[in-house]
Amino acid sequence: MARALHWWWGILLAFTLVALSRLVLPLPFITEVLIFSIYTIGCSFLLGRVGFISFGQPAYLAAGAYGTAFYLFYFGSNPYIGVLMGVLSGLAVSGLVGPLFVRLRSDYFALVNLALAVIIFYLMQKVLAGITKGDNGLWFLTNIASTPVLDIASPNGFFVFALIAAVAVWALYKYLDDTLFGACCLATKTNEDKLEFLGYSNYAIRLAAFIIANTTTALAGALYAVYLGFVSPEITSPARAADPVVVTILGGTGTLYGPLVGAVVYTGMKDVISQLIGNWELFIGFLLVFIMLAGEKGIWGTLQPRLARLLFRHRGSAGTTRDERPTR
Amino acid sequence: MDAQLLLSGVIFGLSVGSIYFLMAIGLSLCFGLMRVISLDQLLYYSFGAYVTYSLSLASGSLWLGLLGGVIVAGLISFAVERFVFRRIYERELTFSMITSFGILIGGIGVIKAVWGVVPRPVPVPTLAQVDVLGTGVPVYRLAIVAIAILVYAGIWLFLNRTITGKAIRAGIEDVEHVEGLGINVSRLFTLTFIIAGTLSGLAGALHAPLIMVDPHMGLEVLAFAFMVVIIGGLGSIKGTLVSALIVGQIVSLGSLIYAPLAQMAPFAIMMLILLVKPTGLYGSPLLKK
Amino acid sequence: MPASAAPAPDSALVSVRGLNTAYGESKVLFDVALRVSDAQIVACVGRNGAGKTTLLKSIAGFLKPQSGSIVFNGASLVGRKPYDVARMGLKYVPQDKRVFSDLTVRENLELGSYATRDYDWGRVIDYFPKLKQLMDRKAGYLSGGERQMLMIGRALLGRPKVLLIDEPTEGLAPSIVSHLKSVFGEIGKSSALIIVEQNLPLVCAIADKIYALKEGRIVAELAGREAMRPDVCEGFL
Repeated sequence: MARALHWWWGILLAFTLVALSRLVLPLPFITEVLIFSIYTIGCSFLLGRVGFISFGQPAYLAAGAYGTAFYLFYFGSNPYIGVLMGVLSGLAVSGLVGPLFVRLRSDYFALVNLALAVIIFYLMQKVLAGITKGDNGLWFLTNIASTPVLDIASPNGFFVFALIAAVAVWALYKYLDDTLFGACCLATKTNEDKLEFLGYSNYAIRLAAFIIANTTTALAGALYAVYLGFVSPEITSPARAADPVVVTILGGTGTLYGPLVGAVVYTGMKDVISQLIGNWELFIGFLLVFIMLAGEKGIWGTLQPRLARLLFRHRGSAGTTRDERPTR
Repeated sequence: MDAQLLLSGVIFGLSVGSIYFLMAIGLSLCFGLMRVISLDQLLYYSFGAYVTYSLSLASGSLWLGLLGGVIVAGLISFAVERFVFRRIYERELTFSMITSFGILIGGIGVIKAVWGVVPRPVPVPTLAQVDVLGTGVPVYRLAIVAIAILVYAGIWLFLNRTITGKAIRAGIEDVEHVEGLGINVSRLFTLTFIIAGTLSGLAGALHAPLIMVDPHMGLEVLAFAFMVVIIGGLGSIKGTLVSALIVGQIVSLGSLIYAPLAQMAPFAIMMLILLVKPTGLYGSPLLKK
Repeated sequence: MPASAAPAPDSALVSVRGLNTAYGESKVLFDVALRVSDAQIVACVGRNGAGKTTLLKSIAGFLKPQSGSIVFNGASLVGRKPYDVARMGLKYVPQDKRVFSDLTVRENLELGSYATRDYDWGRVIDYFPKLKQLMDRKAGYLSGGERQMLMIGRALLGRPKVLLIDEPTEGLAPSIVSHLKSVFGEIGKSSALIIVEQNLPLVCAIADKIYALKEGRIVAELAGREAMRPDVCEGFL
């Protein structure tokens, strides 16, 4: 029991804080933060553990979003099934392109994902406009039926659902970090050939990590779809490719809570900065450069070791070494 | 499809391909020699276009604007190399990708601040058309192709007939080895970076009259520019030329057939090529990840 | 424990002390020390992975040591860029016979001259007459032995005071090896050589002093005809 608590306490604390913030912060903001952080965590681990940066995360976001949208617009009205459809679409897309993408060198990988995002953008905007309604987007807010027990058609109910989803995702990633991502990190840090020799298939590990990360991204897309009740190609426009990358770096690559911290800061800053300066890109661009030159650790990446030292001085850093692993 | 349409499609494709080529050389060189992904080249492209816009509006001459655009792009690239890239050459590829991306985004912010968000049209220097095999072909587009050919010749001469160029070619093969001979590779890097920035600026300046300048133009071209580089193979000038020609024709002739597909086709081709040859057509396999 | 060796005079041309180098997180060299005097041929022998290349690279500036001192001609080399070190007169000839394959032999030499401003190719041709015929051939088409000759010849431009040569005879035919042996002997009269080799008979024949490197540590320093024999060296590895 104590062991389980030890494993869970970080996640429970983090998301209890998020839930409590509901009291002081507007609901749309927190919901957005939750979904955005789910969007980012895949990207963060892909970069931090596998060493792959993707400039095409919007592709998988769109896969999830449109999967859900198609279902809720054309077929049914149960939002749970809609989300499931979105996740399955994401699984399908990443499973389809994964075997090719994962073989590539890291720079080609980043750009090939960008290419995919652009392709999907054009597909949704023009080629398949018949079923996607092009730039007008698919509107299905009224289609969503209320669900028993937890009505995720309502803002409050959805928030709870998003919260639960986030906790589940975080638990998954924490678990993966001990197994899958741990192996990835080991593989990229030490000699890849050595690892192959020992029987690990580097390729298989990378592929699994890729599929999981992007299916998570698709989940975020599905959540966006249900939350907004509306999906348009804008969600995968190349201009949005920056978002997950920036949030990843901002929060701290590869750290468990980095995506959450990054999402909070990014979404918060966006509103504030836009009102103050209005020139969003100027700020975020130079911030990104600054973070990279200053050590790439990001906000949580810098805070976390210090907090750990502070809180665990007597216990040693056993429970938190994972997050302290140097980022790539 | 009638021959006249086909011909103008080909010319159109050549001019678009020329712009891609100019953009792609810089990216390819930066990668080949310094092993960095310089996404900020798209920023010099944008600045080249915008300065051309302002100067040509102010002075009435596009060619003057072009000159200004190229020079400013070169200067900005020098500043970026001096203050940012010089610190990051040793790092892995993803580092330079992210950092240069930050520079690109930040630079877009600067453009927005200076010029505003509204897209602006840039006047074409000449609307004259010349008769080629019975079709009217815009002189300006031919001029672009001519300039691109000149640039290719110039680059070829530089790399093959000057000692600095040979040092760069040697460096693309093995930088450590060049350094071991006593050659100051830092200066080589700076020079190459400035050449790349200047060519990107030229691409933007030439492209400006064909499209409207808008702050996000760099992002729109980003995917295409990189596609050309990837298909051709990072680090190969010849590969860049070939692939720019191909992509230009696909986009142009493809749009005569079915427009939306034409935009997507290059990406599909790129994926197919990478499937067969993961480093592009002429790309060199790299030891460093 | 190092075998007996006459203490080198303090006016050593190259003096390495307490050198510790690591590749990322794994340490490769532990407290390495060696000295080379003017016009002395010093060999460094050891098995694969002993750290020989790391040692040469550290001296030439390609790897930054964790600690230790490297002094060449009275100046410290630690922290200097490789091209700086090369300009000071200490040149590194890497293993694997890598030349610039896309450039011709002539162009390869031109690059060497460009850096050192030494256009006296006559000396190089004297050592390696074969290169004269190969001037316009692309270096990528040369045989292993020809490449090695090109690399060493090119490194001779600028009359370096010290040459660090990494496994020059690996994979070469005996006739070429013996040619190199006499070349090294000649060069060694005016420049200092640090040769890393696995070819024990060769180094025992030409070296003034042999260092044995095992798992990153100097385990022996041999001098004198009796000590410098292949079987003796072998014993330390």
